[in-house]
Amino acid sequence: MRLSLRFDLFSRRASILGVVGRLVCLVLSYLITHQAAAQAPDPSLFGKHPLNQAQAGDLLRSELRCTACHGGSAPEMLPPKTAPSLEDVGARITPGYLQRFLESPHAVQPGTTMPDMLASRPTERKEIAEGLTHFLIEQSKNDFTSQPFAKQEIDKGRMLFHSVGCVACHGPQEQLEAGPTRDPRYADEDDDEYFQRDRFQPPAISLGHVPEKYSARSLSEFLFQPLHVRSSGRMPDMKLTRDEAQAIAQYLTRESQQTKAAIVPDKSLAAKGKQYFQELNCVACHAMEGMSPANPVLSLDQADLTRGCLSKASSNSPQFHLNEAQQAAVAVSLKERKVADTDQVVLAKTMTAFNCIACHKRDDFGGVHQNYDPYFHSSEKNLGDDGRIPPPLTGVGGKLQPIWLRKVLFDGESVRPYMETRMPQYGKQNLAFLPDLLARLDSPEKIEQDGSKLVEEINSDREREKQYRAAGRELLGDKGLSCVTCHNFNGKAAPVNKGLDIITTTQRLQYDWFNHYLRNPGAYRPRTVMPSAWPNGVAAHKTILNGDTDAQIQAIWYFLSLGRSAPDPSGIRQEKTMITADDQAKTYRGRSRVAGFRGIAVGFPEKINYAFNAQTGTLSAIWQGDFINVNWGGQGAGDFHPAARAIQLDQDVSFMRLADDNMPWPRMPTTSKETPVNPDPLYPKNLGYQFRGYYMDDASIPTLMYRSGSVKIEDRSYAVEVEDRPQLKRTLKFDSPQPQTLWFRALSGDVQIESEKKFRTNDLALTISAGKPIIRPIAEQRGKTELLLPIKLPQGESTLELIYEPINH
Amino acid sequence: MNRSITKPITIACLVAVAVCFAESVTFAEDVGDRWGTEEREREYYPIVNLPIPKDLVIEAGAFAQLPDGRMAVGTRHGDIYLISGIDAAKPNPKYQLFASGLDEIFGLLWVGDGFRVTQSCELTYVRDTNGDGKADRFETISDAWGYENYHEYAFGSELDAKGNQYIALGLSASYYSNALNRGFIMKVSPDGKSTAFASGLRSPGGIGLDEHGALFYVESQGPWNCSCSLKAVPFQSFHGHPASFNWYEFNSELGPTPLAPEPGTLIADEKKRIKQLVPYAVIFPYIRMGRSVTDFAVDKTGGKFGPFEGQMFLGDYTLSIVMRATTEEVNGVWQGACYPFREGLSTGILDVEFSPEGNLICGGTNRGWPVRGIKPFALERIQWSGKMPFEIKRITIEPDGFLVTFTKPVEKGTGEAAGSYTISAFTHPYRGAYGGPEIAQHACEVKSVELVDDGLSARVHVDKLEEGFVYSFDLAKLRSRDKEELLHRDAYYTVNEIPAAQ
Repeated sequence: MRLSLRFDLFSRRASILGVVGRLVCLVLSYLITHQAAAQAPDPSLFGKHPLNQAQAGDLLRSELRCTACHGGSAPEMLPPKTAPSLEDVGARITPGYLQRFLESPHAVQPGTTMPDMLASRPTERKEIAEGLTHFLIEQSKNDFTSQPFAKQEIDKGRMLFHSVGCVACHGPQEQLEAGPTRDPRYADEDDDEYFQRDRFQPPAISLGHVPEKYSARSLSEFLFQPLHVRSSGRMPDMKLTRDEAQAIAQYLTRESQQTKAAIVPDKSLAAKGKQYFQELNCVACHAMEGMSPANPVLSLDQADLTRGCLSKASSNSPQFHLNEAQQAAVAVSLKERKVADTDQVVLAKTMTAFNCIACHKRDDFGGVHQNYDPYFHSSEKNLGDDGRIPPPLTGVGGKLQPIWLRKVLFDGESVRPYMETRMPQYGKQNLAFLPDLLARLDSPEKIEQDGSKLVEEINSDREREKQYRAAGRELLGDKGLSCVTCHNFNGKAAPVNKGLDIITTTQRLQYDWFNHYLRNPGAYRPRTVMPSAWPNGVAAHKTILNGDTDAQIQAIWYFLSLGRSAPDPSGIRQEKTMITADDQAKTYRGRSRVAGFRGIAVGFPEKINYAFNAQTGTLSAIWQGDFINVNWGGQGAGDFHPAARAIQLDQDVSFMRLADDNMPWPRMPTTSKETPVNPDPLYPKNLGYQFRGYYMDDASIPTLMYRSGSVKIEDRSYAVEVEDRPQLKRTLKFDSPQPQTLWFRALSGDVQIESEKKFRTNDLALTISAGKPIIRPIAEQRGKTELLLPIKLPQGESTLELIYEPINH
Repeated sequence: MNRSITKPITIACLVAVAVCFAESVTFAEDVGDRWGTEEREREYYPIVNLPIPKDLVIEAGAFAQLPDGRMAVGTRHGDIYLISGIDAAKPNPKYQLFASGLDEIFGLLWVGDGFRVTQSCELTYVRDTNGDGKADRFETISDAWGYENYHEYAFGSELDAKGNQYIALGLSASYYSNALNRGFIMKVSPDGKSTAFASGLRSPGGIGLDEHGALFYVESQGPWNCSCSLKAVPFQSFHGHPASFNWYEFNSELGPTPLAPEPGTLIADEKKRIKQLVPYAVIFPYIRMGRSVTDFAVDKTGGKFGPFEGQMFLGDYTLSIVMRATTEEVNGVWQGACYPFREGLSTGILDVEFSPEGNLICGGTNRGWPVRGIKPFALERIQWSGKMPFEIKRITIEPDGFLVTFTKPVEKGTGEAAGSYTISAFTHPYRGAYGGPEIAQHACEVKSVELVDDGLSARVHVDKLEEGFVYSFDLAKLRSRDKEELLHRDAYYTVNEIPAAQ
């Protein structure tokens, strides 16, 4: 079967509730006769649904809300499909469109569930529609606007429309380049499943009217929160962000022809419209403040189907434009004596009404239609269909923990970030009954083994706990079953395929399901890439837990139940977080070997970096190349490490007042394992030092601020390149209340004199702009010298320039 | 509901081996049972995920409300984001990076035209002075403490009525006090002067003011603390862990060094001997009520968040839950009760804060320590659905029992029956070992109950009350007038003082 994917206004009007065009009827009736063993979908509804004709009729009656006007016994109602809220309809719908639609809904939007209310008043159509339009606009809070968005994102919208799941119900809007399709190997004629599938028309609720109906702005608002307007969730919330909703709205309205002008409602027209609204009993479906629905008309129990809404001959009833199959289904539904629906039937109706079956397979119905298969994408291509096709729902009530099912249905939780198609949100008020229904249908009467009891049991046996913990870890790792090769683990990416994070297992799944699934994943997902490690129940891995299948699966469950505290199995790479300073200077505070606990790292795009120990007021390291790696793994509190070998300088206090030049420079207190308590906890505050912070200039270069005694110091370094070699230029600005001498310990190690102003150690050269430094031995370090500069500060401001040049060997 | 309690496994091993720059290895462990109330809680207090863009890591450590209606979050990575749209029905928040490169933010407060940021190294005033939306000035307000071990976290309070801010300083590796003032609470006055205010902390999780404006901090279970607790902080008070005695000699304002506590005693006895020792105001029985309680927020939403106005809401890191607490001052000593509130958050909660619309914003991470929630980090919003839960609202002490108030009227039959009020009591030993058992457990006989006519409160008269005991309430048998069971049947009142009869 070959179907055109090209968008065509009239060829594929297969709305679940509305008109199925003649052509489609023909195709369908042809196809139905060619159905094989699979459930034959009743032709009044689209998709591979599980309903027979009477049930389909029930669903049509329920979805069309026959009982909004009619008396008589209703079919067991699903949460009713409410009409759109008219509260702000004037702001949402283009006025011109609104009037045309009211005048003749089926001509303007073929397939709409809105009945033609004016069939009995053909000559007044225009006048009534105009009045209603003015009334509806007048009662709206906001005005219609077609002001375009500043940013044009039609391409993004096109991409989103054809990937997040819109296609499942609306069909593709244009032929896109082919995405991933089913592996042709499986398309051979022996594959029963393949051969039997998709011999029916896929759903394609037309969006042909959309460009004229909405402005990009109003459509965007609707798409962002569709349940605001259509609370019954048949058009679900696709979890779009505002930006995404804007992009899709721009895409869908891109070919809008008409100018969309707001109108000022005319008072007398609006007053008439209000009368019509009441007279036509619009309020039976559309709530309107201050109005109440009329009394029910004729009971459907005794209805003569040759007359009334279902009859084309009728001249005084609303017209629904149902096709023959739909009419027949409704007729059978009305005729059949009603017995209460079984859970099975309620579920079948639900999954059809909400079109779960467009994406999900359950038992022998539903699933992604082959025509739409190319629009289901994944960022993890190697996961195959598991990565891109929404999971089957067969037995889902026994698979998922009840609370997790609620989180998926109502809280938007999902664990498959690679799957581009999203699980829509249908509104809790609409599906509140579903989790319990699924649990009743799918949960085994007797639970073989309760997952949390199993964990408790293992926990209470110290030996077994130890053994299972180790075994579970080993089984998951690359020396065991290598689960972590294709599953993310504990927020860490898998090295090969980034399948769903298995640490979520025990919070999502029920143990019995997990146990059976692990033994034979293929039974649950025919083409899964998930291998079986216990084929026919026999463990492939013989040494762990003696190859005992039960014990191994229990051990994995137990290990995963440890949640985020589970240690990494072997085979997971620890990724370091690198911070770069590519565009502009970066400042990062954190502890570091090269700068102490109150460390500050500063990086420059020129690929030279320095570290400052703010505890002592000392430039303590310089390195070339990349900036820093930061440890945010485990308990890591963001300690930084230079990304390249650093020139380490002493970290003792840099500035102080020396009584005379014989006084030894006070060194930082040290602690050891044996004497861990800081012996001089006030150092170097007791020497007058106090850090005061830093500020950034427009290039994000920090100026560090600190104080030494009464002297305020501002310390700014920046990178320069001289003959392709990076240097650090440092300016020290002093502000002193009176003239005084401040000593600066500029350098230490094996300090050599290069010139009057230039000094060097083995790996660093330092140029000082002014002053007469002294070099003296360091008392407690044999062979080491220190460069001390007495700075004679005047009252007020003064500066000192320093240049640091790394010496490359 | 399964009410068995998993045997506590101490997390001592997690932290004991931590040394200066090296982190400890994380060991696996089960984190403990659930309350089993999550499905029912959803009806009253749904949790809404606040989506975080894919490329951002937001391990929330502190929240702040901004004057313009936005909220700010400070993270463990040292970033500050300004978030708009946090209260939208369908949240699609915008994150604006305001500052980065700070060191583990556990205190965030908007004052004047900038943030007072408590980071591990210091209290910093962070401002945007050129109006480009990014911070450019980071001024040190206080760094009056040593910082020599990665586990030396610092938590900042809000400002008190006089404009003082309080910084709670955790111990070195959570066991020792090797660096200046570790284990102290410092007071930073409006002029920037820092003075020592209290001692004896172990591993604080948060600090702030309660509904009465009194200063409290949250302590974690461990040595000298058998359970996590809320502790009231008067000036010069000592909070049980003696490691910080090292620094009294450097802080004369704190008065004389307290006497060393005797292990294996009871707080109720030791407080008579050690005059600075303040008994723990609200004990959170270990695992039943959290395993590492973190920061709290006080409900000042004027009813937007439901019936708990004025109460404290506290997060727990390990169990990914939020609890409630109430406090009262009896004979000059603070005490009070804690109550289960909401479980099933997605990550380890490090801070909670109310949003402008009166929702409770919760955030954190599960990196590094055992956590029940499965997300590496998350921001979530707990909101009141508007439906009134049937809950124990507040328990206060009476001379011969307790006054229990409820959120909905209790029906007469069960409400007046003494048998509906199962109360038991225990105390903890006061000792230096890690954690500790519940000892001297006994049933507390309820002699009579008076249900007030409106059904909203009950006076419970008991046989005997003892100082230093935690009274556990199990009110499972109560029914509201519309035949509902309590959403949470348990509550725990810590008795430090018993009021005299009038």
